[in-house]
Amino acid sequence: MPVVVDPDLCNGCYNSRQPPCVRMCPGDLIVKDFQVNKAYLKYVDDCWDCLPCVKACPEEAIRFQLSYQMGFFNASLQPHIHRDRQHITWKMVDAHGREDTFTIRTKVMEVALDEKVEGEPTPDFSI
Amino acid sequence: MERPDQPALNRVTHETDVLIIGGGTAGCLAAVELKEQHPDLKVTIAEKAHVDRSGCLAAGMNAINAYLNPGETADSFVRYVRFDSCGLVREDLVKSQAELFEYVVKKVEGWGLPILCDEQGNYVPRGRWNIKINGESLKPILAKAARDAGATIHNWVVITGLLVSGGRCAGAVGFSLRTNTFYVFKAKATLICTGGAAGLYRPNNAYDAQHKTWYSPFNNGAGYAMGIRAGAEMTSFEMRYVALRTKDAIAPTGTLALGVGAPMVNARGERFMAKRYAHLGGDGAPTPYRAFGPIQEGKAGRGPCYLDTTHISEEQARQLKMAYLDMYPSQVLYWAANDLDPAKHPVEVQTTEPYIVGGHCQAGYWVDVERRTTLAGLFAAGDVAGGAPFKFVSGCWAEGVIAARAAGAEAASLPPPELEQHEIEYHYQRTFDPLFNYGKVKYGVKPYDMEVRMQKIMEEYAGGASGHYEMNEERLVLARNYMGQLPGQFDQLVVGDMHDLMRAHEVMDRVVVGQALIEHLIARKETRWPAYQTRTDYPERDDLHWLKFVNTRMDPATGKFELIFHPYEQLVPGDRYHPGEKPGKGA
Repeated sequence: MPVVVDPDLCNGCYNSRQPPCVRMCPGDLIVKDFQVNKAYLKYVDDCWDCLPCVKACPEEAIRFQLSYQMGFFNASLQPHIHRDRQHITWKMVDAHGREDTFTIRTKVMEVALDEKVEGEPTPDFSI
Repeated sequence: MERPDQPALNRVTHETDVLIIGGGTAGCLAAVELKEQHPDLKVTIAEKAHVDRSGCLAAGMNAINAYLNPGETADSFVRYVRFDSCGLVREDLVKSQAELFEYVVKKVEGWGLPILCDEQGNYVPRGRWNIKINGESLKPILAKAARDAGATIHNWVVITGLLVSGGRCAGAVGFSLRTNTFYVFKAKATLICTGGAAGLYRPNNAYDAQHKTWYSPFNNGAGYAMGIRAGAEMTSFEMRYVALRTKDAIAPTGTLALGVGAPMVNARGERFMAKRYAHLGGDGAPTPYRAFGPIQEGKAGRGPCYLDTTHISEEQARQLKMAYLDMYPSQVLYWAANDLDPAKHPVEVQTTEPYIVGGHCQAGYWVDVERRTTLAGLFAAGDVAGGAPFKFVSGCWAEGVIAARAAGAEAASLPPPELEQHEIEYHYQRTFDPLFNYGKVKYGVKPYDMEVRMQKIMEEYAGGASGHYEMNEERLVLARNYMGQLPGQFDQLVVGDMHDLMRAHEVMDRVVVGQALIEHLIARKETRWPAYQTRTDYPERDDLHWLKFVNTRMDPATGKFELIFHPYEQLVPGDRYHPGEKPGKGA
């Protein structure tokens, strides 16, 4: 399972109908469960490891690890987007728990918390 | 609850001047160009994901790999691409895209793409045709430009077929992944930019890493398939793309080979490209040979092969990781998870499953120099357009612009098309058939099961990775026969929601693309591009008989493919098997 939404950190982007992770997945693989107000990777086997979901999550609630067949547990790589949107700091943990960080200069576009889908009726409970 | 159960399906009809199918690399540039040239035209993009992160560029890019660095010209680019494609390309197409590299790169830089410059303000090259960028947000930058230009964008609309009226493409139909809606787009001109096809062959990795592919697994060849079904002519599918990539992570190797000058070595440390392929250019041999070389080393028991990075310093290794983080973060995690350090360990490489992609190779629509397909009213740009390899990102941009100019001129002078209701009804039924089967067909076929069946046939009979990508006529005929049985099973597909309906269409599209591919592979009785197209029964290149393009056209009425051959035309003089030199050097 390459990316995992941490249910303890995900807040469903409040009442967002189409949270950033749901919108940014190019494979339509992440869905929001409105019963518990959290997103999850519904189609685990179809993930491409491309990470727009991880970078777009405002709560940094999506963990990126490799499928176990690709690399050992418990290595992970987490991006943190700086407020200037001009830098990303990647925190890397290797299989032995050693940490390293890389700050790269790049450009990261803002992602809105929600976006209306054309043709979709406005739900009653939206504010 | 994330999606409602199937209520009644809505229908909407959108009338537009130009419909762009696929809001990716080519589609976004086309939309902007259209609105700039013809502000009054209505431009509509139909995109099956969200344009901000759809298609190949979702993860970002760290280089533009087709650019004329100082001293190079469109002609020198054609010479190189011709050499890299083993002497057979559409030189008119390659040249026309090269002439626009400067225009499109400057344009996207103006939209905010950071391109690395030296102190004098010149772009930083990373190889003969490459410049470095900070492209994490390349895709959202392109999408924003298309939005700002005034294009109407329909996200999550999966196009399932082209509308043809009186022999002319009149738009397309599809369905929404979000709103249970059937879409009819009525257009004066249609531009197809849906990318190439991954997932035809069994993937390198299995289970929850089956989509750890190099090419976007969501690019299923839909654009080829809808064109084939509508009777458009396709070219050069047999020039498959087998990419040389890092082991398991399947990350691009240009960052290693060009970025830090890593040579390829076999298990014994031999620089086998220089040793065995010197006559073809050694490490600079045409791209197919740089996949073929390591495949042969493996076959001969001298694998695995590596890109030897052990000469680099720890600091260079850090820089290398940072370059990957802007484009392919999982490579960096792969090293961390497996105790690998590119400064200490050579980077193991492998070859991928074969893809069909017109931006690296030349599989795609047969187009004229304005990117008009053989179906009137339909234009093609980017990975879905054939004949012009070595496009990569900037070439797809250029093609988007070229096609937009021609499509815009046509749309501006035409009345809206007439649609035939019976054709719309046919497409409505075809689009939702797998969904209508739900509850009706007791034991149906799941899209995934059909995909596995298709991949098994392609892998085992049509030159898959496990057979060293080799093929002969006998196997290919078996592939043709087995693949030919799959369309008869489409009415057994059963799905329960819109996401799975998309998967059903993806596999149906892949099957028809696979069928066309097999016809191309059978037709070319030589080996022009080793690894991409290794014919064990015709192992040599044969310029006398096969210096020509193999095209196919499916008869929409019978489903039968006919072969069409087009001669190669040399426009740029010079030895077709020599990469040429920088014009400044007096080549």
